Amino acid sequence: MRKYAFVAWMMLSVCVLASPMAWGQDTIKIGIILPLTGDQAKFGEIEKQSFDLALEEINESGGIRGKKLQFIVEDDTGRPDVGRSAAEKLITKDKVIMLGGGYSSSVTFAVAGVAQQNRMPFLVNTGSDDKITEQGWDYVFRLNPPVSEYPGALESFLTEVVRPKTAAILYENTNFGTSGSKEFKATCDKLGIQVVINEGYEHGGVDFKPILVKVKQANPDLVYMISYLMDASLLMRQSMELRLTPKIFVGGAAGFTLPEFPKNAGKASEKVFSATLWYQTLRYPGAMDYFNKFVKKFNKDTEYHGAEAYAAAYVIADVLKRAKSFSPEDIKEALSKTDMMTVFGPVKFVSYGKKTNQNKLPTYLVQWIDGKLELVWPKEQASKPYVFPIDWTKEWK
Amino acid sequence: MKRSQWTLALVVIFFCVFPLVVRSDYYRHVLILALMWVVIGSSWNLLAGYTGQVSFGHAIFFGVGAYTAGLCAHQLGISAWWGMLLGGPVALIVGLIIGWICFRLRGPYFALATIAVGEIFRLVATVWKDLTQGMQGILIIQTFRSKLPYYYLALVIAAACVFVINRVMHSKWGYYFLAIREDQDAAESMGINTWRYKSLSLLISSFFTGLAGAFYMNYMAFIDPHVVFSLHYISIMAILVGIIGGVGTLWGPPVGAFVMIWLQETFRSAVYGLMPKWVSEAHVLSFGILVILVILFLANGLVGDWPKLRRLLGGRKRPSSTSGA
Amino acid sequence: MDVLIQTVVSGFLIGGIYALIGLGMTLIMGVMGIINLAHGQLMMVSMYITFVLFHYLSLDPYFSLLVTMPALFVLGILIQRYLLNPLLKVESILPENQVLMTVGIGMVLAEIARFIFSSDYKSVKTGYTSAALYVGEISFNLPMCVAFGIAVLLTIGLFYLLLKTDLGKSVRATAQNKEAALLMGINAERITIFTYGLGSALVAAAGTLLLPIYYLFPDIGGPFTLKAFVITILGGLGSTVGAIVGGVVLGVAESLGATYISMALKDAVGMVIFLLVLIFLPGGLKRLTKV
Repeated sequence: MRKYAFVAWMMLSVCVLASPMAWGQDTIKIGIILPLTGDQAKFGEIEKQSFDLALEEINESGGIRGKKLQFIVEDDTGRPDVGRSAAEKLITKDKVIMLGGGYSSSVTFAVAGVAQQNRMPFLVNTGSDDKITEQGWDYVFRLNPPVSEYPGALESFLTEVVRPKTAAILYENTNFGTSGSKEFKATCDKLGIQVVINEGYEHGGVDFKPILVKVKQANPDLVYMISYLMDASLLMRQSMELRLTPKIFVGGAAGFTLPEFPKNAGKASEKVFSATLWYQTLRYPGAMDYFNKFVKKFNKDTEYHGAEAYAAAYVIADVLKRAKSFSPEDIKEALSKTDMMTVFGPVKFVSYGKKTNQNKLPTYLVQWIDGKLELVWPKEQASKPYVFPIDWTKEWK
Repeated sequence: MKRSQWTLALVVIFFCVFPLVVRSDYYRHVLILALMWVVIGSSWNLLAGYTGQVSFGHAIFFGVGAYTAGLCAHQLGISAWWGMLLGGPVALIVGLIIGWICFRLRGPYFALATIAVGEIFRLVATVWKDLTQGMQGILIIQTFRSKLPYYYLALVIAAACVFVINRVMHSKWGYYFLAIREDQDAAESMGINTWRYKSLSLLISSFFTGLAGAFYMNYMAFIDPHVVFSLHYISIMAILVGIIGGVGTLWGPPVGAFVMIWLQETFRSAVYGLMPKWVSEAHVLSFGILVILVILFLANGLVGDWPKLRRLLGGRKRPSSTSGA
Repeated sequence: MDVLIQTVVSGFLIGGIYALIGLGMTLIMGVMGIINLAHGQLMMVSMYITFVLFHYLSLDPYFSLLVTMPALFVLGILIQRYLLNPLLKVESILPENQVLMTVGIGMVLAEIARFIFSSDYKSVKTGYTSAALYVGEISFNLPMCVAFGIAVLLTIGLFYLLLKTDLGKSVRATAQNKEAALLMGINAERITIFTYGLGSALVAAAGTLLLPIYYLFPDIGGPFTLKAFVITILGGLGSTVGAIVGGVVLGVAESLGATYISMALKDAVGMVIFLLVLIFLPGGLKRLTKV
């Protein structure tokens, strides 16, 4: 008899819990998917904090037509299957009217598929694999440039200043790393740079010396690395140990722009360049304000991921204010008509090449100078002049 | 026995009716996942619980099935549903190879070897980009927007799996499997071709796991090597499902699957929003603690040690009808 | 040529750390027949302790060794006494229950660490982290050299312990035949508890020495546990010298694989060696020698 009671109780509780519950009807709910735990947690944290910062400001200045905006943040833990489940939960259970976020390329790709299928507008702000906006998905919009455009500023820097003849590409074996390396190789082919080494590695390695010593032997002018945080630090530290001295080291954003990078790599991070999508001294209204507000509130620097999130929040607010109604079609319509300025830059979704609903932005080049990240290219917008050529023996003393 | 037939009927009706009564896609999704784990857990149990070969590499078959379906769509340009037909057989063939490599090892060494092979598969899938797209993964568009077809498909596969295992265990093969588990050398000396029967067990096990993998591709619509060849999230999860439910029992893995998925979702939503946010991160911790408790006190799992569990939970008022159980 | 030498040198040095990790495991596996899938997580615990000591007390990792080794020794004893020993008495279908118990223990340890420290990457920055000695163009990472030296010292110490002391002889006796040892008056239960503690202390040393040149996060344990297995099987169960040799062989093989095959398949090299040894050389390298 007890067995029946137990089974019946389980079934009943499942049914009860499954019935839709009506929570706060007076807020406008947006679902945000970010990695809050797992190895990308640091990035997810900066983005969430930026979302929160923007949300506070938006709600304080009246919200959306008098109603408060609410961000329901779900943790994708860095895994695309979890991201998918999170998206489904936000759509079917929390009944959000729009999705935002999307950090890792593989998670973003999986979530975008869900969004498109459920006709749920999704504003991507970080996931950078080109494929995400090349599927013809009309419900998916992307604020940030795709990874193929990351080295944009680097291109002109290379052709005008460095003029390398050979390059080595090292990338982490993830969606971001793999797609980034493919695109950079294409860039090198275009610029007539010979790629002597193009190798991926498994994230989490202890010893990169085998690959670095191969690079050293090939003696390239340029070493381009695409990594998240810790591998970036180890790669630079071990390059220093091996006395690997190309003309320049360039990182493909991600781990190379975080404030933790110089903390971990120490002097090995000095004078390392990186592509980046944003910098606080850019003449976008509110850019410096956002930077200062963030530093004040969270006691640490922010960088392009945070700016992406902050800008995305404002775009979402703007879209909701303009939308004729909160139906998915009207929100999608409003998104496609977006034409505004944010701290991250101008936002207008266009189609070009194979891409649809993609925002087009220039990218920049930064360099770590004396432990601080400085914008060095294009020259007109630089916060400090670039350092090149680099005397590695001096740097690594 | 009438009582268990009634329970079985009730359970069947419940599962058939559930998605029609509960309209929330989220809960349907949770049940679909649970049903998939019923298949994986039961398959693992056939090889490990009944035949005594504890595999730590079931992700191999899952991943192979998933990629078979994925590659149908991606490389061959045909629908991933063909993967449902092909996934099982392909996984079965892989199973043959794995068996040939690993069955010469016993007990814990077999387990370790399966870990190694599993990791090799994962690494190769990551690196062989031309074939598998590496970490960029394979994405397809789900054929059905509604969850109902997937639910019933998962239900049918789970039911078929449990049914087949039940029939097998009640046949001569089942006795051979158990004999091998209890004492492989004694079995061999009694004339049982242990190699053949271990392989048969593995083939059934890998077939269904591969089928589950192909289903996963069709349902989740996105796979990459870290997801489907994962030691942690697939292989070890399969083992946990089996252990907690009860190794060597028919209903152990199904119960284990539901318990694990239920626990996972309860924790992830911080008990449906009733508890503070940090609770949502504790679901893996709960698995670990549960495993330790089960192994210490309920070594045969929730189902296997059900009488003991009942006693522990408070059947104290009633004196046990059998003494010294 | 330089590439080859540097590769081999790097592999050799990392082999020292691997050897330390393997030393603990070969002891546990060789003596007690326990497959310890929580080995990497024990190392993780010692790394977190080292991190905390460095961060809050500014204690250099080399000094932390004096804290982490005893701490993990105690932890190991507690685990063996309360969680693993009882299993020997439980009647269950699968003898592999003990392995699965260690899986559970590993999970709990990792999750508790995640809880306290979050999933962030932590690291310690010491003055000597990137220090290197140079012989011509070949670089020898200093902390790794030190770790290698300590690994050798610990191996010698362990060797001496096992061969010359009474305690050590009891350990070996229990390993060879538990029942006979019991008959000889050895408290086998105590010995297994002691051995697990000792194995844990050894892997604690590995962790503390690894932290300055790597980094720390809750999931760090898994891959290292696998490497420990490879080394144990390669060197032969219970063989201390085998662990050093196995560690170096693995380190060098991985490095060569990374350079000449592909960096991405580096870990696969270890797995393949593992399988080959399991299948073709079951006693490990020990079989080829007499130690």
